[in-house]
Amino acid sequence: MRPRTTTRRQFLGSAAALAATGPLVPGFAAPLLGSDYRALVCIFLYGGNDGNNMVVPLDSASYAAYAKARGNPGAGGLALTQSSLAPLNGSSLGLHGALAPLAEVWNQGHLAVQANVGTLVRPLSKLEFGAGGAAVPGNLFSHSDQQSQWQQGGSGLAHSTGWGGRIADLQARAAVPAVISVSGNSVFINGAATDGLALSSSGGFAVKGFGGNPARNPLYSLYTSLLQLPYANAEQRAAATVLNQGLRASELLNKALSASSSVAGLFAGQSNSLARQLLAVAKMLEAHTSLGVNRQIFFVSIGGFDTHNDQLSQQGGLFGQLGPALKSFHDATLQLGLGSQVTSFTASDFARTLQPASGGGTDHAWGNHQFVLGGAVKGGLYGRMPQFALGGPDDVSSEGRWLPSTASDQMSATLAAWIGVSAGDMAGLFPNLANFAQPNLGYFG
Amino acid sequence: MPRYRNALFVAAALWACSAVSAAALDEPEARRFLAQASFGPTEASTQGLMAIGKAAWLQQQFALPASDYTGLPYVDANSKVGCPAGALPTCKRDNYSLFPLQRQFFQNALNGPDQLRQRIALALSEILVVSGQQIKLPYAMANYERIFLANAFGNFRNVLHEVTLSPAMGKFLNMANNDKPNLTKGIEPNENYAREVLQLFSIGLWQLKLDGTPKLDSRGQPIPSYDQQAVEGFAHVFTGWTYPARPGGSNRFPNPANFSGPMVAFAAHHDLGAKRLLNGVTLPAGQSAEVDLEAAVDNIFNHPNVGPFVGRQLIQQFVTANPSPAYVARVAAAFNGSSGAARGDMKALLGAILLDPEASNPAAPQRFGKLREPILQLTHLFRALGGVSDGVWLRAQASALGQPIFSPASVFNFFPPDYDLPDDPSLDGPAFGVFNAGTAFKLSAVLATALDGQGVVADLSVVGSVGSKIDLTRWQTLAVDPTALVSEIDRVLFAGRSSVPLRQALLKAAQIAPASRPLDRAKAALFLAVMSPEYLVEN
Repeated sequence: MRPRTTTRRQFLGSAAALAATGPLVPGFAAPLLGSDYRALVCIFLYGGNDGNNMVVPLDSASYAAYAKARGNPGAGGLALTQSSLAPLNGSSLGLHGALAPLAEVWNQGHLAVQANVGTLVRPLSKLEFGAGGAAVPGNLFSHSDQQSQWQQGGSGLAHSTGWGGRIADLQARAAVPAVISVSGNSVFINGAATDGLALSSSGGFAVKGFGGNPARNPLYSLYTSLLQLPYANAEQRAAATVLNQGLRASELLNKALSASSSVAGLFAGQSNSLARQLLAVAKMLEAHTSLGVNRQIFFVSIGGFDTHNDQLSQQGGLFGQLGPALKSFHDATLQLGLGSQVTSFTASDFARTLQPASGGGTDHAWGNHQFVLGGAVKGGLYGRMPQFALGGPDDVSSEGRWLPSTASDQMSATLAAWIGVSAGDMAGLFPNLANFAQPNLGYFG
Repeated sequence: MPRYRNALFVAAALWACSAVSAAALDEPEARRFLAQASFGPTEASTQGLMAIGKAAWLQQQFALPASDYTGLPYVDANSKVGCPAGALPTCKRDNYSLFPLQRQFFQNALNGPDQLRQRIALALSEILVVSGQQIKLPYAMANYERIFLANAFGNFRNVLHEVTLSPAMGKFLNMANNDKPNLTKGIEPNENYAREVLQLFSIGLWQLKLDGTPKLDSRGQPIPSYDQQAVEGFAHVFTGWTYPARPGGSNRFPNPANFSGPMVAFAAHHDLGAKRLLNGVTLPAGQSAEVDLEAAVDNIFNHPNVGPFVGRQLIQQFVTANPSPAYVARVAAAFNGSSGAARGDMKALLGAILLDPEASNPAAPQRFGKLREPILQLTHLFRALGGVSDGVWLRAQASALGQPIFSPASVFNFFPPDYDLPDDPSLDGPAFGVFNAGTAFKLSAVLATALDGQGVVADLSVVGSVGSKIDLTRWQTLAVDPTALVSEIDRVLFAGRSSVPLRQALLKAAQIAPASRPLDRAKAALFLAVMSPEYLVEN
């Protein structure tokens, strides 16, 4: 159904060989650059989060332009009132009121706001976009494609691998998969040579039906032998691979996930899925020394951001989950003494039109704002906020679809450098990065 | 609409095939076919198919009426009205969640004689997605699913038409109450349905050849099948529609939510400008909402992508995740009317999918077949082993395994049709989108419970609940002779096609417990069997 490359396939032989001998738990056994423990956490906001109502300018000229284009909420419009916003100290910006817990992290100096970042092949002007012929990411405004491009780290790649998974590949020469999703399968976690591990955010991580101690159950040993058979059928072979990967990792991870956690109390009163996912990640951080790994990448997500209608209430509800959960997670890293060793960041399909659509919502757009936070992060505003003018210099349409002034790959590469990807490996990880003057956006001091 | 009906010709073509296949159908082939075309073979359905052959079986299925969803009356959209203070504690579950619908889905899948109708309805519900995450009223979703049950053997144009005007879809993708542009308020028509009906329900992102592979331009690049201007054209077409008036209520724009009957149009809220659609077609200015809508549905339905785009996904649902391009081309040609039936004829389409030689005799067995999606894992097991269930436990297990029926996370279904197969991304593995270490471990817990011989007790809060149980008495008796036990497992669960190493492992499993404990012997062999890659993946 789509063009493919065989890049990923070519690595598989070596990956299978490594899987048999490598460490039990996904992680960088032989680290990237640096020997300390570090973890990256991707929080994906599925559906295309409306960044225009996440970070709002408070200076009077910009706010007036914003409010005019967004329209009166009493008449189907979407403008947030100035008084409802949580101001970010020392800036002329405010966060959506439900994200006030994250404004605290800003005020502590550990929240970065990356303005107007989106998928790009190379820097692009409005003139070039309008003229056609310039390199533009494929299928702008399509959920599945833009999700993939953010997670892939490059437009025009075979969409089977993500940059999280490909970082794991860098280690796969000496180890096994390094990425864990607590939120099902995603492009982000799959590398060319390795597949990330996906587990559930609730309960432990163990196979059932083989008694309390599978290792001593003869039926279990028959089963593990069955999974080692050389299946000629590709789908059967794939099923065996997934099961084998889980069984290899389960003993150590089950211990970590089943254990009571010293940071669980920080999530008290939050029962939503994102909070549970972040708590599971916190438990694995807490157990990192017993897992024997020093670099990990986690993937969590929250859906529902495709707010074509009733956006004020829907997005407000979602931010009401995101703000507290992310703050609790940040506090957990501080309590665990890992504050400066864990960096979290948001990503999303795309932004949404500044102009409202019929039904009190918005349609698919492009350049968006994202968060990067953690003890190692040098807080502040990065990049440039767009001009709130429909059809204006930053709008590639007439409804407020921002042409990104920063590439998602620049943002991702900055995070990849922090987790230890060398400058030499960066071009392989983000093939389009060389097209941009600034490969590192400087989020870290 | 007679132009979409040509059942006689199709029937004749199918009968002609049946003379050949009826004679040659042995039990393994019958069981493999029923895994593809039904919710799994039972003893009775296997014998029935062997007696008459595939083509006659299809005719029989085409003639059976739908097993319907029952006991789901209209309720007010506000649960405080439908379930006022003092209402039964189950009122919200039974009227404001998909619980009763999901439960009945499993009852129909396990017991309904109309197996093929139920299967194609499920398949279409996974392509033209409305999710219960947003549409939580079971009567509303039942009305939506009835579109697929009613048109299962009709014409795809009617499916597209009824889905477009369905209030459930209208609410889910915001066509309900979509207003014409309002310059004063600065509000544009909503693009949600316009975009997804093209990308997901009919033609997809890229121009396709008949065999489902993308057409390429002179630089070797795939060619988009529409652009943003076309999305905006359809968004303007889809203005002016609202929910049907509530019983006894007034009729205005916007009407309050009501999911009985198709949406209705209001001329004053329909955009009257010209609209650019697909393939260079521009609808003239000044047309009514109804005329614009019929023209737009025709414009989509007649796009050459529909046959290969929908046909390939249906092959994936029924037969194999990776059909050969030639197989896709044969199915797309049938959609296009190669057999003499009308374009879009569902009987011709289903016949082409299920009777194709590749479905029973694949040229490339190493890439044939598919991981069963969780719903089909559960139904296949219960039907093969004669299990009974009221659906209460099964619906919950399907959800835990990543497939809450009729309630996926988004319009992109539980998994995309082109999800990359782990280990080999050159192949598709759609159901692998919800299969990972986490869900595989959950599956082990579900299967262990299903095969514990005890069953799950009835839920007393559900009228007529009988629980869920697979009776292992027969298997316990068989287990006295482990060889006979393994042969029977091979016949019933693997259509007689399990590998030698698997049968050897099953034989060992059947002898772990002493002969004095035949139930344990049966349970061990059955559990190992259903956890094996050969069972999880049908091929």
